[in-house]
Amino acid sequence: MRRTTKAGVAVLAGAMLVLAGCSDDGGGSGGSNGGGEGGSTDLVLAGWSLSTTPEFQVLVDGFTEQNPEVSISVLEYDAANYDTQLTADLAAGSAPDLYPLKTVTTLPTYQEGGQLVDVSDVASELSGDILGVDAYAVDGATYAIPYRQDAWFLYYNVDLFEQAGVEIPDGTWTWDDYVAASMALQEGLAGTEAKATYQHGWTSLVTGFANAQAGSDEEFLAADWEYMVPFYERAMELQEAGAQESYGTVTTNSLTYQGQFGTQKVAMMPMGSWYVATLLAQQESGDADTFGWSFAPMPQLDDSTLDAPITQGNPTAIGINAAIDEDKLDAAKEFLAYIGSEEAASELAAIGIMPAYTTEAVAEVMFGLEGVPTDDVARTAFSSQQPVPEAPVNSGTPPLQTILDDAHSEIMTGNISPAEGIAAAIARAQDEVLG
Amino acid sequence: MSATTIERPRAPGRRLRRRRALVGWTFILPNFLGFATFTLVPVLILMYLGFTSWNAFGAAEFTGLENYQRLLADSTFHTALLNTLYYAVFHIPLTLGAALGLAVLLNQKLRGVAFFRTVAFFPYITSIVAIAVVWNMLFSPEAGPVNQFLEAIGIANPPGWTTSTDWAMPAIILVSIWRDMGYYMLLFLAGLQAIPSELYEAARIDGANAWQRFRNVTMPGLRPTTFFVTVMLTIGSFKVFDLILVMTNGGPGTATLVLSQYIYDTGFVERDFGYASTVAIVLFLICIGVTVLQFLVNKRRDR
Amino acid sequence: MATLTLDPPSTDTGSPVNRGRAGRRSGLHMVGRVLLYAVMLVAAAAILVPFVWMVTSSLKNNTQVFTVPIQWLPDPVVWQNYLDIWTKANMTTWLRNTLLLSVVITFLQVLTGSFAAYGFSKIRFPGRDVLFLAYVGTIAVPWQAYMIPQFILMSRFELSNTLWAMIALQAFGAFGVFLMKQYYESIPEELSEAARIDGLSEYGIWRRVVLPLSGPAVASLSLLTFVNVWNDYLGPLIYLRSPEIWTIQIGLKSLVSQYNAEYALIMTGSVLSVLPIAIIFMLGQRYFVQGIATTGVKG
Repeated sequence: MRRTTKAGVAVLAGAMLVLAGCSDDGGGSGGSNGGGEGGSTDLVLAGWSLSTTPEFQVLVDGFTEQNPEVSISVLEYDAANYDTQLTADLAAGSAPDLYPLKTVTTLPTYQEGGQLVDVSDVASELSGDILGVDAYAVDGATYAIPYRQDAWFLYYNVDLFEQAGVEIPDGTWTWDDYVAASMALQEGLAGTEAKATYQHGWTSLVTGFANAQAGSDEEFLAADWEYMVPFYERAMELQEAGAQESYGTVTTNSLTYQGQFGTQKVAMMPMGSWYVATLLAQQESGDADTFGWSFAPMPQLDDSTLDAPITQGNPTAIGINAAIDEDKLDAAKEFLAYIGSEEAASELAAIGIMPAYTTEAVAEVMFGLEGVPTDDVARTAFSSQQPVPEAPVNSGTPPLQTILDDAHSEIMTGNISPAEGIAAAIARAQDEVLG
Repeated sequence: MSATTIERPRAPGRRLRRRRALVGWTFILPNFLGFATFTLVPVLILMYLGFTSWNAFGAAEFTGLENYQRLLADSTFHTALLNTLYYAVFHIPLTLGAALGLAVLLNQKLRGVAFFRTVAFFPYITSIVAIAVVWNMLFSPEAGPVNQFLEAIGIANPPGWTTSTDWAMPAIILVSIWRDMGYYMLLFLAGLQAIPSELYEAARIDGANAWQRFRNVTMPGLRPTTFFVTVMLTIGSFKVFDLILVMTNGGPGTATLVLSQYIYDTGFVERDFGYASTVAIVLFLICIGVTVLQFLVNKRRDR
Repeated sequence: MATLTLDPPSTDTGSPVNRGRAGRRSGLHMVGRVLLYAVMLVAAAAILVPFVWMVTSSLKNNTQVFTVPIQWLPDPVVWQNYLDIWTKANMTTWLRNTLLLSVVITFLQVLTGSFAAYGFSKIRFPGRDVLFLAYVGTIAVPWQAYMIPQFILMSRFELSNTLWAMIALQAFGAFGVFLMKQYYESIPEELSEAARIDGLSEYGIWRRVVLPLSGPAVASLSLLTFVNVWNDYLGPLIYLRSPEIWTIQIGLKSLVSQYNAEYALIMTGSVLSVLPIAIIFMLGQRYFVQGIATTGVKG
């Protein structure tokens, strides 16, 4: 018995040494494609859903064309479990040299964990037209370079608006106008299968807009969330009036937003800019109907922000693994400089992705794509909207988000009123996170 | 247990004992080597991590009992613990009963028994995504067949099932029994084969009816299996994760948040692997406590 | 349920006593049987509903899979998915990897598990019960809690991102040891004692006496291990990165991309992945027949 205990302790001690080892040696980053020899460098970049997410290969191809001495292979991760897989790889020291931060709010995790190289020198060389770089700065140092910047639009189905006899969005809507239009649409579409608008199940569909338009980082992090209440009240009003599918139906029937808007079940839908490319592809493949559609800026709190409408939208950036081999670092930084260039932006726009680098030229590429709506309101939405991340980029954010997710499902299913639900969430945040 | 182990009348000599231990270990070793390296060691590391603050990168920082103190005041942990107990208290006996009933029923000489056994096992092999999707649709509060049926038989205000904080857990429990009963049925079926048919014969000659035969022959004969199933079912219930994740994701609110999901969220979302380990240790201790209790009860019954 | 006869199948027809009684009750028996079948068929249909939905969804267009209200029948019927799964998706590779893993892991788990179980149940030595408790104890620790330490260890052994990782992970599970141990304990000790007197070593007893009597336990352990490996998602997700070593479950999950998901194709793959298990189960369940253990006692 005593001997077994001793053996156990020995085994455990050995294991701890093995574990500790990984924080010491630091090296041995993924792919183990030896670099530097003969002037050529091999890098590995993490990506996800490669067959349907061409952006990584587009960036790699564009870069290696200019830098033939560098080769970059893309390693596929699971789209939904990217951070779980990446965490495991980083912890084991086997992660790729370059990895995207799929969600901007995960930056503190990797940065505070010492897993990102300081790339301030790359950032300082970038043109001023890049959106979202600030989000990746911690204490004055930049840790990743954004290549895309999504923004949320209000998509609408021109045919259904016509059928209902309602004016299409003109780019000057406030949330009150949005609610009024929804009610009018619901009346006009009575007797058909279509509903006025669609709100997908994600928490950010309410809290993201509330944070961007009515809140501030300070309020969010202090859990002063009363500003979210009117946003929830509006959502509930639409839901109770039947102008949008109830949250319960959306979740219990696993509704997809692509199916709802793409097969003309709804006249309007707030959704991210990525949906433009998806919708075009689905209309091409027959997964979506063919109908007239466009997008407008998101409704605003009041008239004051109509010139530069505020919306939510996360940047996506790529950072360098802190465990990268010394001799590969320069090549990796060059790649980051490339993804922040106007050239890369045009390549991305050509596949329907909103790049972080925004100029008139880039916008022209985007609107030159076949099928992309080219009306003035859509151009305004693309060019003048100010996207704000759905939540502050701060290490305090994740636990608060968890609490808001819980509150979201409880409020939207009607188990608790918006005011009480937010009050309960605030109390919980004070008690468990901030207290 | 004493009947089945090597029990010689006199205490064996030292050499014999050592020899026996050696033989015992040679049996266990092939499995133990793999088990110790790939499971036991990580688990022991986890036990240590429960006393640290660790974000998965670099070295863990020893913080003593801090995590345990935090547990005491953590109301979400308490919610998750209570929800887990709620689930376990209903899931364990109901699944046990359903599985045993199915096994006894499908142990008979019936035409097509292979088909029915396979059907009973089907929920366990059906993709969990399909299970979640279909049951959620069936339970859908507005257009779902379950509530349409309830309304048809005159229930005016049918529950909101997975969208209601009160009814989400009962809905989960129902689906989990449906899913697991075939799995445990299989274990009972195997156990039933070990009961000598002479015992049934003898009981019948003694005039025992079906229920008496079940009580006095089937149940005692199944005891090792029942013990195994109860332990596995207990552990499985306390660890329940995937079904809830895909069906309600812990909601609405925290109505179906269970310990396993809390551990996952704390670790992979909030990056607090030290605290996640502490919660895992508590879950482990509860399971071990219940298991040891079952061990003792089982041992006493054996005597 | 109490009205059902609890007789094991092999004794149902044997004795004259039985036959006489069966004759007297046959009328009632017939009605009971018919009712029983009716109930069982209805129950079977109800149990299969999600599977039926899987099948009909696999015959739909992608956008028809999730609708309000539920659309049970595909219209039009889309057979294309059953072709696409082999061409658009890499089902052949996934199937091969999954089959390989399931067979190897099941074999190792049954072999090492039943071997170790003999040590735990038939030989008494110091520290045995504590060791066994450690085995059972690890089952009680949620995997997602020690996933990262385990992954780091596995990477140190250079096993991650290989199929070996999955084998190392699942072939030596405590579950098999526990299951086999419990079954061995229901095998009468007189048998091994007799063999011991005949001069058989412990290994010989395991090989010639105990193992041949464990048919139902080996069958259920094999089935359950096979199914668990076949359907495992989280393990392959963490350990298998390269597409050429993906299993069915993560392969199907890869059809869910960030902005869209091929639900109809996923359901097609799910249907195809269930069928081999159903067939194996159909074949394997015939080992659950009374008498294997008892013939041993008699002989």
